[in-house]
Amino acid sequence: MPSLARLAALFGGLVFCASAMAVDVDAESYGYPLANPFEATIATTPPELRPELPADGDIRQHDYSVRLRPDREFELLDNFWPVTKLRYRLAEQKGRAPLIFIIAGTGAHYASGTNEYLKKLFYGAGFHVVQLSSPTSYDFMAAASRSATPGYSPEDADDLYRAMQAVRAQHPRLEVSEFLLTGYSLGALHAAFVSQIDETRRAFDFKRVLLLNPPVNLYTSISNLDKLVQTKVQGIDNSTNFYDLVLGKLTRYFNDKGYLDINEAMLYDFQQSTERLSDEQMAMLIGTSFRFSSADIVFTSDLLNRRGLITPRDYRITESTSLTPFFQMALRCDFDCYIAEQLMPMWRARYDGGSLNQLIEKSSLYALEDYLKSSDKIAVMHNADDLILGQGDIGFLRRTFGDRLTLYPHGGHCGNLNYRVNSDAMLEFFRG
Amino acid sequence: MVKHSTLIIAMLLASGQALAENQVDPDGFTNPLQNLHFNPGLDQQEFERASSDALQVYDPLESWNRRVYHFNYRFDQWVFLPVVDSYRYITPNLVQTGVHNFFNNLGEIPTLANSVLQLKGKRAANSTARLLFNTILGVGGIWDPATKMGLPRLSEDFGQTLGYYGVPAGPYLMLPLLGPSNLRDTGGLVADYSLQNAVNYLDVADASRSNPGIPVLQAIDTRANTGFRYGQLNSPFEYEKLRYFYHESRKLKIAD
Repeated sequence: MPSLARLAALFGGLVFCASAMAVDVDAESYGYPLANPFEATIATTPPELRPELPADGDIRQHDYSVRLRPDREFELLDNFWPVTKLRYRLAEQKGRAPLIFIIAGTGAHYASGTNEYLKKLFYGAGFHVVQLSSPTSYDFMAAASRSATPGYSPEDADDLYRAMQAVRAQHPRLEVSEFLLTGYSLGALHAAFVSQIDETRRAFDFKRVLLLNPPVNLYTSISNLDKLVQTKVQGIDNSTNFYDLVLGKLTRYFNDKGYLDINEAMLYDFQQSTERLSDEQMAMLIGTSFRFSSADIVFTSDLLNRRGLITPRDYRITESTSLTPFFQMALRCDFDCYIAEQLMPMWRARYDGGSLNQLIEKSSLYALEDYLKSSDKIAVMHNADDLILGQGDIGFLRRTFGDRLTLYPHGGHCGNLNYRVNSDAMLEFFRG
Repeated sequence: MVKHSTLIIAMLLASGQALAENQVDPDGFTNPLQNLHFNPGLDQQEFERASSDALQVYDPLESWNRRVYHFNYRFDQWVFLPVVDSYRYITPNLVQTGVHNFFNNLGEIPTLANSVLQLKGKRAANSTARLLFNTILGVGGIWDPATKMGLPRLSEDFGQTLGYYGVPAGPYLMLPLLGPSNLRDTGGLVADYSLQNAVNYLDVADASRSNPGIPVLQAIDTRANTGFRYGQLNSPFEYEKLRYFYHESRKLKIAD
């Protein structure tokens, strides 16, 4: 009898193991053409392998704005006039439908490319869609963030939650059957925190939540991104800087081609030409875009809080003031520098915070481990070659999400979101 | 002995490379950064150097330009884009395309003239063929059969011609309503405009003088087909970024 029990336990364990295994998509059956993670991140999916999407003209959409911080209208300097209210985009279906919120990635705007793509995908599937800016974006920091010092995920998610409630309140006649939530990159991490807040506040009671390429350890991710601009690039010398190098390649490429035509298919053709970029050059290009985001955050956070690190405390800024010197200073500060100079002091002052490790722990997916383990409505899609992950991160996802993790072999960072296999899986998850 | 040691070194290098090739973690992580070469710690400033260079665009009228930038931003949000949206709402798609093709066809005149001025024979031929096909088969340019025949629309303006012959860009200028430009390209704009008036192709220039609706429609059509929105870069430094993009895209256009 005891042996039978043991056998049953063993079987039970096996069944449990099997059901908790992540869905590993193998490269051959997956068929994503870009095996290079840097190429995938920059160029995303070739146009012919993307899903069919509704045309802009066929989407009933409009940009709205909501006043979340009335005080900011008086506090903000003249040149901030466009961002005193939080803008967002709503695409409406006729009649009753599920509503999905999409949270943008690091520094990204509600109407950024990936947000627009996800909107079209979900709108085409019959959902109402609300596109939101990331809490790390310029407009969100100015118009919606209480501390205007993004990076501490619980607080960022709280700001987002308030924004989402205000958005809902602005459209009382919109018929919503259920609420759904998604986000990509940093927005996916925010989505996880927002979902946890919703468990107690219950304003939406999300039916399903999908995390697309989230950072697991926030610090690993930003360290990786900071590192990307430090690659050793061939062809840079005293007279040629990195941008000259890339633009020179583009010029020669177009000269060979005979005419200038920048479009999506061009990127693939460019990478087949003799002018193609090396991994180091592509890494630097990706890192550059993130450094520009960090410069925006550094400048905006410093100015809104009058910290005096970049802009002197009582410096008068009008619409005609040159911001170039401040831009130059902010460009010298990467994410690591931002955390040390602005985020840590704010976190210690407001939340009685401790060490850097504690901040990382509280701002990363680790903080939600138990919640994520027990909450069946949350799933994650990630790539084995994502640039923002570090060693052990995928192991954490496997342990935490079990079969709710789908791991794709290729795609880099968010490069396969617009691959037809991925888009089908996303829709299946939300419809299912 | 020497041979041996080189062999060993070669083997070490080879094994190192083989190791660097593809190390996959037990959890499936392929660690894409593992094969990248990084600059040594004390020499990590290429990003700062390049970005600092990129900010050096000659802009002596910056404070005026910034005011115009904010003016354009407001005008766009409060007047221009709402008008464009209503135009899109009330006009059938077919008519919108027709209007767009019509004005594009008029634009072939300066393209043709400037291709000739730059001695670009192939491009001038392309432009001439487009002009003929679209005006005759496309009924005055409302349709664009030339593109379907494999003659792509390429544009050349007088600013590009000047740049082609080595005229420097001059100070950066933010033009009211028209957006980013510089002294050379503003001159080019005036020249192209005068040329269109002088040629008076399809009588449009003359008709515009008595009927201001035509230039207004042209402005709306141009705005409707320009993707840029103020604020879309979503950065406190949009002015600087726009300035750099404009500067570099003009260089690319002049070079091709």
